[in-house]
Amino acid sequence: MTMFHFFNCAILTFGPHAVYYSATPLSEYDTLGTSVKAAVVYLGTALVKLVCLATFLQVSENDGFDPYQELLKALIGFIDVAGLYFALTQLTHRNISQNHKFQAVGLGWAFADSVLHRLAPLWVGARGLEFTWDYILQGLEANANLVLSISLAALASLIWLRKNKPKTLIPIIYACAGIVATMPSITSYLRRGLGWYFPKVVGFELFTSLVMAFISWQLFSACQRPSA
Amino acid sequence: MATLKKSTELLESMYSVIALLFILVACVELCDAAAAVDVYRLIQYDMSGSPFGSRFAALNHHAASLSFPPGADLSRTVLIIPLRELNITFVREYITQKKPLGGLLFLLPEVLSFKHGGNKQVHEKEKMKKLLAELERLLVHSNIPYPVYFAFENDDIDTVLADIKKNDAMGQPATATTGGYKLVIPTAEPKKVASPTITNIQGWLSGLKADGDANQLPTIAIVASYDTFGAAPALSVGSDSNGSGIAALLEIARLLSLLYSNPKTRGRYNLLFGLTSGGPYNYNGTQKWLRSFDQRLRESIDYAICLNSIGSWDNELWIHVSKPPENAYIKQIFEGFSNVAEELDLKVGLKHKKINISNPRVAWEHEQFSRLRVTAATLSELSVAPELFEGTGGLFDGRQYVNETAIIRGVKLVAESLARHIYGHQGKNVQIFADESSLAVNPAYIRSWLDLLSQTPRVAPFLSKNDPFVMALKKELADHADEVNVQHENLEGIFTFYDSTNARLNIHQVASVTFDLLLLLVLGSYLIVLFCFLVITTRGVDELISLFRRPPSRKVKTA
Repeated sequence: MTMFHFFNCAILTFGPHAVYYSATPLSEYDTLGTSVKAAVVYLGTALVKLVCLATFLQVSENDGFDPYQELLKALIGFIDVAGLYFALTQLTHRNISQNHKFQAVGLGWAFADSVLHRLAPLWVGARGLEFTWDYILQGLEANANLVLSISLAALASLIWLRKNKPKTLIPIIYACAGIVATMPSITSYLRRGLGWYFPKVVGFELFTSLVMAFISWQLFSACQRPSA
Repeated sequence: MATLKKSTELLESMYSVIALLFILVACVELCDAAAAVDVYRLIQYDMSGSPFGSRFAALNHHAASLSFPPGADLSRTVLIIPLRELNITFVREYITQKKPLGGLLFLLPEVLSFKHGGNKQVHEKEKMKKLLAELERLLVHSNIPYPVYFAFENDDIDTVLADIKKNDAMGQPATATTGGYKLVIPTAEPKKVASPTITNIQGWLSGLKADGDANQLPTIAIVASYDTFGAAPALSVGSDSNGSGIAALLEIARLLSLLYSNPKTRGRYNLLFGLTSGGPYNYNGTQKWLRSFDQRLRESIDYAICLNSIGSWDNELWIHVSKPPENAYIKQIFEGFSNVAEELDLKVGLKHKKINISNPRVAWEHEQFSRLRVTAATLSELSVAPELFEGTGGLFDGRQYVNETAIIRGVKLVAESLARHIYGHQGKNVQIFADESSLAVNPAYIRSWLDLLSQTPRVAPFLSKNDPFVMALKKELADHADEVNVQHENLEGIFTFYDSTNARLNIHQVASVTFDLLLLLVLGSYLIVLFCFLVITTRGVDELISLFRRPPSRKVKTA
């Protein structure tokens, strides 16, 4: 049960990141440096978020959904977006096309997120004799998170890096970016406010991540076309 | 200089972080079980070199219930048997025919637990008592080469058992490939208890010596053995055998010490109270205690009354003797008891059992006295002498099986008879320990001692020299007697005991190995599909195909 199950869950959680890196042209252009830098920026962002949460948030006794607290958490979540902005624009990257830049940043971001949030529970929990479905679901969640991160990075790069965007698409881009950025709040509302079980929440995350990925892909390719 | 200091500080803080990390990594295996239960192991002992009891302690096998498919291989499974489904013939078959089994776990009803059961009523007392006695007899006298444990039923275990029964009914006993429940008890190999000690406590109450009387005053001894023996030593509280005897002895000591505290009412007899250990082992402790006496003291003992199981009788008690009933002393003792018994509206019978010096088996405590030519008798509710390791405080001998009123009446009988003999009031209708007097029997005293005894397992090899319970007995006796002595002896050489009497059982719900393999297959194919999908969408189908085409051979180029 023990190490085998841990190995299975580990490849489910971290495998797609490696596969993504090797399968797409990212490996050809050697964008590992960008990904690593993005991961470090994520670490910094996480620390800042932690400090803000500790300072401003109150711990509630019951596990219910408190709108005020959730709003506060969402606002602090926007620090995520600020971090992404920093990673995309301020860091010096080697001369790589914008197309690959956002992918590399998104990948590094998602990998750091998975490691920080999922490695420790996996190590402590999945190696025991007791079997639960939790770690497999957590792996699926990591997959959804990867897709979401890349789409968020795509939308962010559209917002800040591309100067000539068709006017009509701008509000759509901002709207989609807003939805993706507030995904954590939405999932926590579903889990606590509506009382959805973990498998259902993970299913919802997977579905929305695919949908948002598709939409952002369409938006990106639409912006690629030279404006007539 | 400053930078060097700073860097060492940084390094030190790093060390603490690394140390923390190591601790975290090491602490992983701490319990994450579906349920954790306290379990009590079957006793393990050697008698004259022959092994008895359960010879193993550690457990790490799959669980099965009694509804396992016939013909299944159980050599690596633990059978969980609740008491209500126990079939003695089935267990006896398994043990006597030495069929291979991974382990046995017996589930006892929660009412029998002295920690949680409390004072709830036991349904079908007699049936349960008989069943438990039979099970105990079978287990204690067999040599079982796998772990046997007892546990009390609670909600966790009940749900687990129901689940196991469901799985078994579907014809799938739990093995490594089909999942199910795994029972894990991580203990070390049981070790021998080095030189087990038995502790005898004696209390001496001096009688009134008349001036100019050079001779030693005669002595009357009242003895009870306080240790127990049972199938599960951690559960052997022996409320009736012999908790009732101890509570009675302490109450008698209290009453007589009240009389003796005043010189005007002090009798012309010395009183010797003995709390002996080693009872289940042919009253080994009593023998050693008596042997340690001065010859003169032994000769001065007029007679000794031994108390054994006086807690659950209705109307009849027995006095067991080894000297023939025609003996003058025996007649005197029996008449004294009978007179008091008549007044108290109960019956006392006399039973004579000759002792056989060559037979090492000693069934009653008075026999040890008789072997040293001291007149003695045992007062007991049992009419027949118990066999070896029977009636020594087993699984069923808990608080619910003892009746305080019976003990109170027993105390009145003994105290009154003794007092009439001491003060020379035999045959006279005088009530010394009348109710409502200052010398009345105190029910609360008896009850509190009985409660304490019913929560203290007292198997002698597992009681250390300075065990708090033994110290408490000594202190209590010291309150009533003039002089208290404690004697430590080693238990007779033919018995060897092994430790590890209780443990914690972890019940894990495990998935089978096939499940893991299946999951690996699924994940592998998922990653491969993802890889191909990404290659196709980002680089085109040609790239994918080119990954599999072999590069053109060198030979062709150089040709």
